[in-house]
Formats: sequence, C-alpha cells, structure tokens
Amino acid sequence: MTSANYHPSDRVLREYVQGQLSTGMCVALSAHIELCSNCAEQCGELESQEAAAWLHADTEHATPDFAEMANTIMELPQQTDWDGAISDESLASEIQLTDQNFSLPRVLAKAASNGLVWKKIAGGISQASLAIDHETQCEFLYMAPGSKVPVHHHQGTEVTLIIGGGFEDEFGRYGPSDFLVRAKHDHHQPSTEEGCLCFAVLDAPLTFTQGLARLLNPINRYRFYRATSHRR
Amino acid sequence: MTVIRPSVPSESAAVIEGLSDEQLLVAVGVSQDRQAFNTLFQRFSKRIFAMGMKLTRNEQLSQDLVQEAMMTVWTKSPLYNLDRGTAQSWIFTLARNRCFDMLRKKKRQPQTVSADDIWPQDAGVDMALTHEAEGPQAVEVEQIERLYAQLPPAQQHVIEQIYILDRTHEEAAAELAIPLGTLKSRLRLAMAKLRSLIGVEQ
Ligand SMILES: [Zn+2]
Repeated sequence: MTSANYHPSDRVLREYVQGQLSTGMCVALSAHIELCSNCAEQCGELESQEAAAWLHADTEHATPDFAEMANTIMELPQQTDWDGAISDESLASEIQLTDQNFSLPRVLAKAASNGLVWKKIAGGISQASLAIDHETQCEFLYMAPGSKVPVHHHQGTEVTLIIGGGFEDEFGRYGPSDFLVRAKHDHHQPSTEEGCLCFAVLDAPLTFTQGLARLLNPINRYRFYRATSHRR
Repeated sequence: MTVIRPSVPSESAAVIEGLSDEQLLVAVGVSQDRQAFNTLFQRFSKRIFAMGMKLTRNEQLSQDLVQEAMMTVWTKSPLYNLDRGTAQSWIFTLARNRCFDMLRKKKRQPQTVSADDIWPQDAGVDMALTHEAEGPQAVEVEQIERLYAQLPPAQQHVIEQIYILDRTHEEAAAELAIPLGTLKSRLRLAMAKLRSLIGVEQ
C-alpha cells in the first residue's frame, strides 16, 4: 500500500460518513480510503462517533406509528450466506494506457464497469467520463509522460485522486493515492514526467484560460451542462 | 440448513428489555427471535426516521427509510457478529446506506455505483479473521464442539478442512470441489456464527 501525503480534511470525512456528500465526491473518498489506512481508521472512528451522536440526539419530529411494520418485515426470509454479500471479483480492476498499467480501487472498477471511452483533450491529455450523478462531473484523466495541462481555473471545487504515477504544479508534487482539493479560482498548471492517471470530480465546469485551449471552452461547457441537465 | 436452537430463549418481555443491542441483534440473526426484533424496532425506528428527515427532509421518504432499513436489519442480521463493531454503528451505517440509495433513486442517478460499493460492508471482515488465532477467551473445547455441531454441514466441512486438517484455502476449495470465493464466504459465515454464539452464551 502506497502512503498518501495529501488527505481529505476531517470535515469532509465526517460529511462522507454522514452521507451528506454527492455520489461523485463519495466515490473519490471511498477510493482514497481503500488506498489509505490512516483515513480508513479515521472513518471507522468517525462512524462510531456519528452513530453515538445519532442515538443521543433529540428527536424533533413527531414519529409516525410503525406498529404493523415490524410484523410485515419478519415475514421475509433472512440472508443466510455470505455469497450474496461478497463483491464481484470478476470486475476488471486494471486500466492499460499507452505502456502503463494502473490498478483501480474497487469502487472505481465498479464505476468503470460499463466501459470507458477515451477522448484526447490536448497535448498528451486524455479524458474518459463516468456517469455517476447529476451534480458533479466525474472523469478519469490520463496525462501521458512528459505532458502539461493548459492553465485553467475552476468555477467550483475540483477533487483529484491520483491512481498511479504522479504530477506537479505550482503548489507541490503529488503521487499515488494523494487526494487533492482545488478551490474556486485557483489557477494551476499540472505537468508530469512519468505520466499520471487520476480520477477527478468537478462540481462546476472547467474553464481553460490560455492559448488554443480556449477553444475547448464551449465544448467543455456543453459537456458539463449535458451531464448535469437532468437535474433541471 | 440445520435449525439452530435459540441461544436467547424467548422469555418474558422484561428479560428481553434488559438485553444489549448487540445481544438482541445476534438473537435475531441466529434464531429469528421475534421479540428481540420488536425490541430493536422500538429502540431504532424513531432514530432512523429522524435520520431520514435530516437527510431527505421528506416525511414519506423517511417512513420508507424506516421500512427499508429495519428490513435490512432483519434480513442481514445473520451476517452481524461482535467483531463488526457495536450494533448501533452497524445499524447506523446500514440506515445511512439505504437512505443514500433512496436519494440516488429519487434523483434518477445512474445505477453504476450503490452505497454498498462506496461503503463496502465486508471491509473489516478479513481483518477480523486474522484475529481468530488468539481465539475467544475462556471458551471450553466442549463448548466449541457443541456450537460447531449447530453449524450447517457445508460450513462444518469448511471449518474441518481449515482448522482441523490445517489445509490452505486453495487446498480446501479443491478438496471440497467448490470455488475459492465460496469457500471463503462459508468460512466467514461459520466464524461469524461461532463468535456470535459464543458471545451470547458468555
Ligand atoms: Zn488518507
């Protein structure tokens, strides 16, 4: 297990445990937690805390009468073997890109199980979208060795989980299982020597701000609005 | 499947009321104890409804959540054992997962990943298995033998291969002519059941 240097904040982990975050964000966190024993342990602790708080909170709502419900439920058969509960081991858990092999955390293998369609974006960067929810834009991003992402800024929050390889930008160097959060209006320009596969979650369209990449704007926006149009 | 004698006999309501959440949950899972389930239902349904109101702000959905979550408590209780943490944590995460999936469905999200993919239920189980060499304290050999006899034959065979004949998982799967995954799942279930039974007796 590779050890991450960048982790989600405690506040984000707590909201994750409470079930308050978008599905896209939860997938990124779940994948990081599979790769990071520190965060896994922290989540276990937070779950105990949240469960205790849940039981001791005041109930502010009048609760309906559930008198008949318990009896109806007890008519059902119980699950008596683990077989139904075991994860599907037939999931493809590897992605091969150019000559690099990347193994995927389980939740991402599941999310990718309908197949991935890779599109070249710009200078060595490829992208494959994942349909996960209507609030975020989720995608795999692959940067071929020696490539550079055009300068861009975000209109919302971007979360990046590094699956394999690494990259650097103005703020630092990042490697496998690092969990990065870029806030609104951060400009940055990632580049990579070794190549890098990431899973990225955006909660607003990406806006490129430089050179030829500006041409991508309408497409990017179109893609994002199409991906999110269901909620309107 | 063999009938497992209730370890917590259906006694007076007062006895049931005095049991911990964990003892109740094990009684439901091991012997389908209806009184124990009714007591768990009373202890948790209001809490689950409140969680639903907090996360969905919708009374109908919250009522559905009570139904879905308590149904999952009933159907999955055989998979619970004391190594999976407290009953309150187990029921909390299970209710949260059902709620998350209900909201995803209401928002018509794609069905690619479910709450159980995001928060895997069997996460701690392998770790729990590695602890069993230490064994539960102060369990008599004859107690183990008696509890072992209560397991379904398929689980007894797996336990026999691994713990008595000292075979590897692969060897045992070949010997019993079952897939490795099935062997592991039977082993987990058997160990979970043994631990639950021991926990209740003590
Ligand atoms: Zn971490």
